Amino acid sequence: MEMSDETSIGFLIKEDDSGRAFAILSTVLVIGLAFHAYTFFVTKEEDILNKYTLPSYSIMFDETEIQNSDSMLIANGETDNFQLSRDIIGVDSTRMMAKIVFTISYEETSGQIADPCDEVHAQIPPNGLIADWQNTQNVLSDSNDNCDTMTLTVFVYPGYTGETTEEVGNTEDHWEKKWSNQTYGSGILELEISVETNQAPTSILPGGNDDNEEVTIQWAVSFFLVDVQERAQ
Amino acid sequence: MAVDGLLAVGGILSLALGISGLILIKNQKQEVIWNKRLAAQLLCWIFVCKGVANGIRSIGYETEVWRIVLYSGHFADQIFSGLMIMLALIFPVPILRTRKQFKYGAAIVLLYTITSMGTAIFIGVDSPLAGLGDGYIVCGFIWTMVYLKFRFMKGHEDNKEILGVSDVAILLVIMIIGHILFRWLGMLTRSDYFYFMDLYGGNITSDYLWSLGLASAVLFGLVILFGEIYQTSQGRIRGTSYVIFIYMTIGVVSHIVLAGTGLSGSGGGTDAGSGYTALQTIWTEITSSVHFTMMRPILGLFILFHYGLIRISEDNEQVGKTMAIVLIVVATSALLEIIQSLIPLTEMLSAGILGVAIAFGIGWEERSFQSLISNPLRFPIRVKGSYFPELEFGKHEFQALDKTMMVMISFMLGVAFILHLSEADPFAMSFW
Repeated sequence: MEMSDETSIGFLIKEDDSGRAFAILSTVLVIGLAFHAYTFFVTKEEDILNKYTLPSYSIMFDETEIQNSDSMLIANGETDNFQLSRDIIGVDSTRMMAKIVFTISYEETSGQIADPCDEVHAQIPPNGLIADWQNTQNVLSDSNDNCDTMTLTVFVYPGYTGETTEEVGNTEDHWEKKWSNQTYGSGILELEISVETNQAPTSILPGGNDDNEEVTIQWAVSFFLVDVQERAQ
Repeated sequence: MAVDGLLAVGGILSLALGISGLILIKNQKQEVIWNKRLAAQLLCWIFVCKGVANGIRSIGYETEVWRIVLYSGHFADQIFSGLMIMLALIFPVPILRTRKQFKYGAAIVLLYTITSMGTAIFIGVDSPLAGLGDGYIVCGFIWTMVYLKFRFMKGHEDNKEILGVSDVAILLVIMIIGHILFRWLGMLTRSDYFYFMDLYGGNITSDYLWSLGLASAVLFGLVILFGEIYQTSQGRIRGTSYVIFIYMTIGVVSHIVLAGTGLSGSGGGTDAGSGYTALQTIWTEITSSVHFTMMRPILGLFILFHYGLIRISEDNEQVGKTMAIVLIVVATSALLEIIQSLIPLTEMLSAGILGVAIAFGIGWEERSFQSLISNPLRFPIRVKGSYFPELEFGKHEFQALDKTMMVMISFMLGVAFILHLSEADPFAMSFW
């Protein structure tokens, strides 16, 4: 072989076997890549494109509310508990608990002249019920001594707003599961109410002690059912 | 161990090999022919780049600095790809046979690397020009052709030096594409786990170019497999024959395990897909991930020492030994971690087994290190000297390569940081 050939960039191709290895390898590569291209662009193209076309879903909620009320006679200096749970409410187990609102009201009921409103304190300890306790919109305690109505709120299902949302990716089952977690709302919620009576100026008269108060508790619990529908692409 | 942990181990192994290899090359006193000397340097920088890419990616994308992870990993892979092509152009048999060819070849590879990096920055990492699969085709083609030439050279069927060239060609192919060979059957059976492997999605041209690289890797593996089956039938089986047989056999088992799966994560199928079962996840971890993160540095170490790319003398023997020990200890402990993830072991038992495993590992190193370095395989320059042209390279030119690489790696890390600050969208450069 001449020197000029030895310095050629194609030297490796031709040397010794006159290019046979190169020809074999090129043939295998062309046939193999043609098979691959056919598979990629014809047999599997739709699958490949669909693989990355993420489905989108409309997530809607059917909301209902259950309300009721109760009253408690609480002695001066005492704290009474009011309990609420799914069993107590008696709701269908398929419905998810969204939010609990307590409205606590009272009047001065001693019947004494010029008796001021008693001091009532209401609070919900953040335990007992699995709920979104970290939600900054929760109102877990309040108190007053002017007979105003107090409202306490606990958001139970994290992220729930009641508004229809659009989500992209994952499966219908995934989104249904996300909004059907019955763990939230399980357990027993306790509302603690304590009373400190304020005595009327006439309380020094016989039989004139103000030593308890009747407190009315109205509760409203929101429940929802999720409806996930895949949107057309 | 999670795959992220494996990536971190792989990153450490690659960096350890790359950096200590560069120190050994710098300190070596013995003369080494130009293409081996340059190949050693390129191989070490390849491992530095892969170490950076794996190390950064081990952080994961669930972080505020995900752009740095994505871009720097991508850039490091592009430099890795350019270095691989450069390596294939000079080693084991130089395609670039004159200084002029070398100069043009190096310039084209550099331009290719810069262009693909620029495309990733200005157009998007999923654009066709920023693809990485092309490196597999060029390198695989050259090394497989070298294998065919030297393995089937008439009249030299028993020449150790000639067969040594074909062996190193097989090892280079396996080192670079071995993790793809674990899925070779999926290409022929049109399985989702092969055709959906690591597609970016959104740009079918980019996805095709990437998948094309994977398909070519399978074809090169098949050519070598049939070549070795033929040679075995002729009674000429070699150590490297077993390596390719093992890889391709694992590929058959992988098909049984992975059939029915679809998407896989990043890194050439080294990560399990989203819908994988526990068995499929573990299988992917102990095959593709182990190759990708651990076998590559181990094969690199073997190639560097066994084929005389780095010559060990008294001056640098200690560094060489330390390098081998670090690789063995880290690889042994990582393997144990994987076993531990499969078989629940108590911490005490695990620590005991680790101690024994490392002791065996270092014991093995002591026994085999000398044989690995003392008799490096020579290339057939006396018999087939025409394949190995003599070129002269000055010391300053080798140093220039080191400086260029340091600048490129620093530059790409800096660019990744700037892109992070710019809040660039890697898939559509909307900030332009």
